[in-house]
Amino acid sequence: MDYTNQIREIAARLLSENRIDVFIGYRKTGFDENHLPAFITHPNATGDLVFTEKSGFNLTNYLKFEHTRNKRVGLVVKGCDSRALNLMLTENQVKRDHIYIVGIACEGVVNEQGEKAQNCLECVMPDPVVHDEILGVPSGKRDYQANSDVKELWQKDLAERSRFFEEVFESCIRCNACRHSCPLCYCAKCCIDQETSTLYHGANTTSSAFHALMTWSLHLAGRCVDCRNCEKACPSHLPLHLLHKQNEQVIHEHFQGHLAGMVAQDRGAFYKYNLNDPDDFIL
Amino acid sequence: MEATVKDQVVSAEKPQLEAPPGWQPVIMGILCNWCSYAGSDLTGTSRTQYPPNIRIIRVPCSSRVDPWFIIKSLQTTADGVLVSGCHPGDCHYITGNYYARRRFLVTKKLLNFVGLHEDRVQFSWVSAAEGAKFAQVVAKVTGAIRKLGPLHLYKKENRSQ
Repeated sequence: MDYTNQIREIAARLLSENRIDVFIGYRKTGFDENHLPAFITHPNATGDLVFTEKSGFNLTNYLKFEHTRNKRVGLVVKGCDSRALNLMLTENQVKRDHIYIVGIACEGVVNEQGEKAQNCLECVMPDPVVHDEILGVPSGKRDYQANSDVKELWQKDLAERSRFFEEVFESCIRCNACRHSCPLCYCAKCCIDQETSTLYHGANTTSSAFHALMTWSLHLAGRCVDCRNCEKACPSHLPLHLLHKQNEQVIHEHFQGHLAGMVAQDRGAFYKYNLNDPDDFIL
Repeated sequence: MEATVKDQVVSAEKPQLEAPPGWQPVIMGILCNWCSYAGSDLTGTSRTQYPPNIRIIRVPCSSRVDPWFIIKSLQTTADGVLVSGCHPGDCHYITGNYYARRRFLVTKKLLNFVGLHEDRVQFSWVSAAEGAKFAQVVAKVTGAIRKLGPLHLYKKENRSQ
């Protein structure tokens, strides 16, 4: 999966025709690691751009920041990124006329160890669902698979699960990188930062991490597209996907197989209802 | 030292950890204004006895309840949470409780997933005419929490008691 040359050509064409102000793609670092985001504003500078299976980050995150918000942006999206972009368009965070989307029919990216990433092995939609042009051959939608880590944890008993998650929450340093790296966490003021909340009162305790991560994951339930930007950004390498995948699984199982961002103008699972939703847990 | 602290915290979800003498569970009751709150009022006016452990917060509708409220309650003072609203089809805002129902299911499963007992967070439909049912629900929830004991898991350290 190497679309470096095509992306360089597209970026140079768009910038020289003055159709966009900035092109967001990937650039190589000096080290053998995941490619970093690149912001190209001049057609002569497109030589920095690359795209290989190391281009793992979700670039739609940069559409929520001020320096791109009111500009015409061209960007590269893979399957999962395009689902996040679809949700951002639905939730009126981005104007469709302002962005030019270069979609990649993705074959999966690699993780830090150089193996195929877990979310790519379990991917439901490798093709871009929203795009202006597409690179590669689309392979179509796949069947939903339950996450193996979540399945494994459910087989343990309650005390073991609480011990496991206590360690997870204990390791959290409350840097909020997960929130900042998430394209769908765009609130100007976040509820977990409120004055009375634990961020100011308790600093980084297990309890405050429980509060922050649980609230965060429940506010993303039914919207998370499993791009794993949060996990790539996390300095403590927390298994944040467990919380999201657990929610996604419940939603997929009980709410008519809902998957976030697959269709244009389809809001999250919590923005609609069905009269036959499960009711047996209610007293 | 570290191991013992951890064992204590984990065993909080097991019934063998003895509650301190005179301990009373604290249950956060989040009730919808139009049905459950009126229902609890009826329980009081008809002089029906129910456990006094519930602290009631009135919200406009059960769909006003953000999962954040439940998490915040469990993290600060509550040993359990009861959220109650109108029966499906009876919502004052027509469809509010249908949206709430979806959120409750996901919240309950996620809290169980991270190690809290499923009886810690309960949901119920209580109408304004069901004063007796409200007393039963509170008794049931209080009984379950009393059996589980005080909640220590993920609790804020400076808990004022």
